[in-house]
Amino acid sequence: MSVDPAVLVEGINLMWVALVCFLIFFMHAGFAMLEAGQVRSKNVANQLTKNLLTWSVGVIAYFFVGFAIEGLVGAYTGGGSLGIGEAFGIISPADGNDWIGWLFGAVFAMTAATIVSGAVAGRAKLRAYVTYTILLAGVIYPVVVGLTWAGGFLASFGYYDFAGGMIVHGMGGIAGLTAAYVIGPRMGRYAEDGSTNVIPGHSMTFAVLGTLILAFGWYGFNVGTTATVFAVEGGELVLDGYAVVGRVAFATTVGMAAGAIGAAAASLYLSGKVDTLYVANGILAGLVGVTGIADGITWWGTIAVGLICGLQLPLVFEFVSDTLKIDDVCAVFPVHGSAGVIGVLAFPFVAVSGFSVAVLIEQIVFVAVVTVWTVAATAAVFGAFKMMGQARVSPEHEREGLDLSEHGVDTYPEFGKPETAADGGSVRTDGGEVNE
Amino acid sequence: MVALSALTEVRSMSEESEIKMITTIIRPEKLGDVKKALAEAGAPSLTVTNVSGRGSQPAKKGSWRGEEYTVDLHQKVKIECVIADVPVDDVVDAIREAANTGEPGDGKIFVLPVDDAIQVRTGKTGTEAV
Repeated sequence: MSVDPAVLVEGINLMWVALVCFLIFFMHAGFAMLEAGQVRSKNVANQLTKNLLTWSVGVIAYFFVGFAIEGLVGAYTGGGSLGIGEAFGIISPADGNDWIGWLFGAVFAMTAATIVSGAVAGRAKLRAYVTYTILLAGVIYPVVVGLTWAGGFLASFGYYDFAGGMIVHGMGGIAGLTAAYVIGPRMGRYAEDGSTNVIPGHSMTFAVLGTLILAFGWYGFNVGTTATVFAVEGGELVLDGYAVVGRVAFATTVGMAAGAIGAAAASLYLSGKVDTLYVANGILAGLVGVTGIADGITWWGTIAVGLICGLQLPLVFEFVSDTLKIDDVCAVFPVHGSAGVIGVLAFPFVAVSGFSVAVLIEQIVFVAVVTVWTVAATAAVFGAFKMMGQARVSPEHEREGLDLSEHGVDTYPEFGKPETAADGGSVRTDGGEVNE
Repeated sequence: MVALSALTEVRSMSEESEIKMITTIIRPEKLGDVKKALAEAGAPSLTVTNVSGRGSQPAKKGSWRGEEYTVDLHQKVKIECVIADVPVDDVVDAIREAANTGEPGDGKIFVLPVDDAIQVRTGKTGTEAV
């Protein structure tokens, strides 16, 4: 029996990519739990619904539009050309296995999309959020990918982002911050004298469970970006993407550890206590920090980047909430945004290949372009909804909680208020009429 | 005849005023001890509610993602206990002894008169209903 190495390579590479797609998909379970834990018990079902719809609606928008936009932006800003028919070819490819490549793009796109829901929790209107998700998955994120991974003008200019520290997480965190700024804080977040009121989330347990599920899926996100295990060279099998798999796995592991330690230290410095949620957020900030650069950094660089991303988290969160007065409910900017930016900007200082001014300039331009586009596009979409009065729910609905007012769902019917009676009605302790 | 009816009135008034409600606010972790003490004092029937309130116990600091906030409403348990034939002082002493830790925040006991009581199942009224 003769073995065609090309068939072997294709099969193993397809299997690896499919497997990591499943791992990355599981990050949605993590995001759902992380965000559910950080919102009030009256808004849990709303947050879960947004997470479910992000995937469901977003993946379809990415199928019909997003994937083609990536190709078109990549070709036309990179000096190439691509026919419209060719760009939209993914809708009905000659080889069904092309859809594995599409799925690989889709799970990254949906990760970027789902970050935003945590920033606008507790007050964004579902239709505004879902419309934004369609635009993010169909246009906003694909433009960023088009300029970079798909060969657009940043690719010609030069940039370094291995698994999407900036392209996915930086972009998602900056979009979240912009959206939270445009739609304004939750009611009661800031007192009339300008001081910040604490609105605690409803479950630390869910938040930590979500964090660890995300960290698990992140192995797929980072290590999986070594998407090609083998290649064929002159009829021989050689390692392709897997040439760096060990370094990426190491950076992912140690980056998250250093992130947690950095956030714990900063929390201890600021409040005298090691805050559980800061440690959990620190794990994610460390992961975000190394995501963009995991395949090309030294061991000490990994620890340094993870630590810095953890250390900055409490400081940036306090700056955003107390100075900028932006109500970023799930801290998505310090976790995904600033940590993503720090990670890719740190690359020239910690690269295996040594320091380079040229690379630093490329990274600054890269961050600036992605930031300007993300802020402009996100502000335009949420600004338009705000002008139409459709960006957030009514004050009555916000006060009552989005679960009951927007979905008619009581997440915890057997705990606390409002109480549900066995005959299907609601009990009013003042003896008043039950509302329809 | 007038005198007799007045006497009946007075007797029934005095019977009714023998019913007392003892409302007690205690630490949640003391509920088991207080239940046991009430049973031993001959007043096993009770209604328990989770409540929060403020008294002499100092405020606590809570924090969420490093941001501190003040908690001055403490979690307590409210026990309502209606008694008729048992001496009020015995019941009050039993509760006090069982609920006491010596620290601020042990709670309060209030004794209130009850006009009347009716047992839902039998329709009995007054002390018999309790």
